[in-house]
Amino acid sequence: MKSITKILTAVLIGSTFLVAPVLAAKVPAGTNLTADQTFTYRVGDEHSSVDPQIVEDVSGSELVRDLFEGLLNQDALGNLIPGVAESWEASNGNQTYTFKLRKDAKWSNGDAVTANDFVYAWQRLADPETASAYAWYMEIMSLENAKAIIAGEKEPSELGVSAPDDYTLVVNLTAPLPYFAAMTTHASTFPSPQKVIEEFGNEWTRPENIVSNGAYVLTEHVPNERSVRERNTMYWNDAETVINKVTALVINEESTALTRYLAGELDRTEIPAGEYPRLKKEYPDQAISFPRLCSYYYSFNVSDSGPEAFKDERVRQALSYALDRNVVTEQVLKGGQFPAFTFTPGTTANFDAPDVAFGQITQAERDAKAKELMVEAGYGADNPLKFELLYNTNEDHKKVATVAAQMWKQKLGIEATLVNQEWKVFLEVRGKQDFDLARGGWCGDYNEASTFLDLMTTPSGYNDGKYSNAELDKLMTDAKTADDPSANYTRVEEIMAEEMPIIPVYHYTGVYMMSEGIIGSWPVKNVEQNWYSRDLYKVE
Amino acid sequence: MMVIGSKKITQMAQNMANYEQGKSHSLWVDARRRFFKNKAALISLIVLTLIVIFSFGAPYVTPWSNEEIDWSILGSINEKGMPSIASKHYFGTDDLGRDLFARVAQGTQISLMVGFVGAFIAVIVGTLYGAVAGYFGGRIDSVMMRIVDILMSIPYMFVLILLLVVFGRSIIMLFVGLGLISWLDMSRIVRGQTMVIKNKEFIEAAIAGGSNHLTIITRHIIPNLLGIVIVYASLLVPLMILTESFISFLGLGVQEPNTSWGALISDGAKTVLYERLWQLFIPLAFFVAGLFSFFFIGDGLRDALDPKDR
Amino acid sequence: MHSAPGGPFTSERKLPEQVLANIEAKYGLDQPYYKQLTNYVVGIVTKGDFGPSFRYKDRSVNDVIAQGFPVTLKYGIWSFIVAVSVGVSLGIVAAINHNSVFDYLAVGFTIGAQVLPNFVMAPILVIIFTLWLGWLPGGGWNGGQWQYLIMPVIALSTSYMASIARIMRSSMLEVLNSNFIRTAKAKGLSNRQIIFKHALKPALLPVISYLGPTFVLMITGSVVIDIYFSTGGIGREFVNAALNRDYSVIMGITILMGILTITFNMVVDILYAWIDPKIRY
Repeated sequence: MKSITKILTAVLIGSTFLVAPVLAAKVPAGTNLTADQTFTYRVGDEHSSVDPQIVEDVSGSELVRDLFEGLLNQDALGNLIPGVAESWEASNGNQTYTFKLRKDAKWSNGDAVTANDFVYAWQRLADPETASAYAWYMEIMSLENAKAIIAGEKEPSELGVSAPDDYTLVVNLTAPLPYFAAMTTHASTFPSPQKVIEEFGNEWTRPENIVSNGAYVLTEHVPNERSVRERNTMYWNDAETVINKVTALVINEESTALTRYLAGELDRTEIPAGEYPRLKKEYPDQAISFPRLCSYYYSFNVSDSGPEAFKDERVRQALSYALDRNVVTEQVLKGGQFPAFTFTPGTTANFDAPDVAFGQITQAERDAKAKELMVEAGYGADNPLKFELLYNTNEDHKKVATVAAQMWKQKLGIEATLVNQEWKVFLEVRGKQDFDLARGGWCGDYNEASTFLDLMTTPSGYNDGKYSNAELDKLMTDAKTADDPSANYTRVEEIMAEEMPIIPVYHYTGVYMMSEGIIGSWPVKNVEQNWYSRDLYKVE
Repeated sequence: MMVIGSKKITQMAQNMANYEQGKSHSLWVDARRRFFKNKAALISLIVLTLIVIFSFGAPYVTPWSNEEIDWSILGSINEKGMPSIASKHYFGTDDLGRDLFARVAQGTQISLMVGFVGAFIAVIVGTLYGAVAGYFGGRIDSVMMRIVDILMSIPYMFVLILLLVVFGRSIIMLFVGLGLISWLDMSRIVRGQTMVIKNKEFIEAAIAGGSNHLTIITRHIIPNLLGIVIVYASLLVPLMILTESFISFLGLGVQEPNTSWGALISDGAKTVLYERLWQLFIPLAFFVAGLFSFFFIGDGLRDALDPKDR
Repeated sequence: MHSAPGGPFTSERKLPEQVLANIEAKYGLDQPYYKQLTNYVVGIVTKGDFGPSFRYKDRSVNDVIAQGFPVTLKYGIWSFIVAVSVGVSLGIVAAINHNSVFDYLAVGFTIGAQVLPNFVMAPILVIIFTLWLGWLPGGGWNGGQWQYLIMPVIALSTSYMASIARIMRSSMLEVLNSNFIRTAKAKGLSNRQIIFKHALKPALLPVISYLGPTFVLMITGSVVIDIYFSTGGIGREFVNAALNRDYSVIMGITILMGILTITFNMVVDILYAWIDPKIRY
């Protein structure tokens, strides 16, 4: 959980605590809105739940952000803006936070949204009875007694959150967290309606029962087929909401989704790997690619259970050098992805990507170097290196893995066998270091380099390759308290380029087809892609 | 899914059982003659032979292997990846610039293997099981056949999916899964046939002569089941291939870099929208031709081995 | 199933042990296996309750089935009706016009349709009817309106229809060549009378014995339909459940399908007895 506890070390420092009220959908003057303000998009799989305290997946969180509103929201750039809370302040050295709630916030049944709704929701999240997979979120928010409550040692009512009056929420923390406010944009912390939950139990999230406080209400849900949300007339800022109806359609196959998009049934869908340039040419105003804060990499298992060969730095370097990133990004994926020579994407805020040496030379030079290194390490035609390349079952991962394996085979005579596993199995196997080389993908939780680099520290729970370097650990620890940690991050990347515990392959982009009407209001600059339907609008 | 004309086979079984013993030599000779007279079956046999020759001969014709990537084509499949003599990709390439000619050849081998191994398991298990049940009869028979009934009520496609998900996807597991489900029908037919045969004089003679049960089953009963078993097995092969294609569609079939007809077709079907139709239609042509051939050969065998019109 | 690597609650963010323990306690996974099993069986027998789904947090297995099964059943029944009515008619017409051009066309078509996998047919249908012609929606269910039903029914029924047509054709041919039909012809009965009054019933027998397993196969084989047409049926639920290690949903659907198989085989036996007076149970 290490990586999440460090959310937002630097981002929020310096942001003011009192922000002027902000309009919801900021439709520029002179924009011609269409009469039909509906938004229909594709999701690949059914969401886990729309219960804020239960939801645990991306598509579910998208729904929850529309149906419910937490204390704070993000704007199109990812900045914090007020939600149910109008203002907030930290006191007691960042260990106490006081939120002032707006008085016009209402549930969809007309009841006022009060501080008690938040107290209830947060206690519910920590309560072992609820058995939420996100209960740990209360723990990393450092709420008083959260840990003991999750362990069943204290009552949920002892959680460090209280409501002195209906419109004031006071939170007591066990540690000073300067970035605490930003954590309240997370779906798990959104309020939930106590009366309704107590009346309907598990079935409270069904369209006929649900009561919510966001810009939308759930009006229809056919599992594995569609969910529909329509605007909530009780929402405090309903006047500035433009989109009337949002429909999420579950379409498993990317290619089917694209066909349906082209037939005009969808406003947004993912572009399958390799098809972006063709679609961009044909539909220049609809195909879109924008940088995401995500990295695609292969990690070496350098633990005791890993292959002996990968303990040799030269072998790791050779494999990394011989992998031609440009082929992967320009010839296989073709969605504007960025070839990666560092783990942290270059677009990350406050991060100076070092010009790592192997990124500066040509691929031919890298290949030559890789061949030398393999010979030095003692591998050749009579003693070929063999290992398994593990990835989770997915067409795109298969393509990248196939291409990588062929590069290694043709350039270095390495025999890499491809192994793919179902997501859940894959995670367990990778987490137990039961692999040689495994695919990894990581999206930043916040726009700062530590969200990536923490993964490489010895104690990180996501350091599946069990790489360990004392200097790197120290640099990352120091970064937590440093005024400007960017030098530390640069140095860490340099160490990694030298020791190569992972092979950075590329940095993701969001590659979508979006209807011309909606594309202008899409928050492409929100690198976390926390989007709210109430900020969208459709133009002629 | 397809159906095997089980009624016809049952009828054939009866006809064969009634056929006088001792003339079995001429039965096989007759059958061969009849089979070669059947044009559809003969053409199918030729087509199938060509497919087999192709699958093993292709590596000598193309410079590409089934997993080698043509880097000059990768990234512009739509423009350069189509079938062409000039680029030596006679069937074009797949999405990753791998030669389809080589891949179809290798996929053909796997698909045929799946078909034959699946049918083989069915034959061995089904024949033994059915023969034992039919031969002993009585309580042993009813218990054994009830087990078959119960197994038949399990939705086998689901079981196959579960097997591959739970135990990991591998070709061995696929064979086990296909074998597990395919012998049930076989055992029923064999049992019925055995019940008829065991009342024949020559069996009684063998019992009187002091042969033990095992000898009787293996020496006397099973050889007399051969015709029906061959016919049924020949019709099972295409069914196995079809099942494998469905499993491959779910991504649970043969694993990279190997491929199969089903995997190639399902990959091709996903790209029909992108103007690379050769990726679907070339493997599909092999698949369809192969299955057609198996069906006609199975039909031909049935007609040839069925002594009713003699 | 429990022996499979990967648990139902394995997720990207490794859960702290205490959180995982709370969740497992909620689903009773902390108890010994035999106890889990007894609880499960008792739940099914006494309350018809297959327990909670591990993946869909606010739905039980009964909900999952109640949601997905009617969908599958609806397009399954329609496909069945189409397959039987078109298949039987095609088979009869082909048999009557034995060795005519129509007969050859019909035979060619049915063999082709039998070997064409529906995962090839489905995307082609979508491209033709949705993208080119714009006649039908490319997927979804929408409460099962007819527009949403057509392509799934075509994709699901075609190969079964072809099988039925082939069986019907050959059994009709056999009956038409039998002695009693020859007698009827000699008596001067019209073709129509011969076929519908005398030949149809015996010729249908082999088709009927094929129908029971077919219906169940149609429903269990609906995975492709659910994937390509996003219909939300039980087939996709099953595959999802298997991939997500959602044990209770897997069990629930498997049991349901088993019961269906047995039921339909029984229905077929009864139908058979009704049509064929020689059989009495």
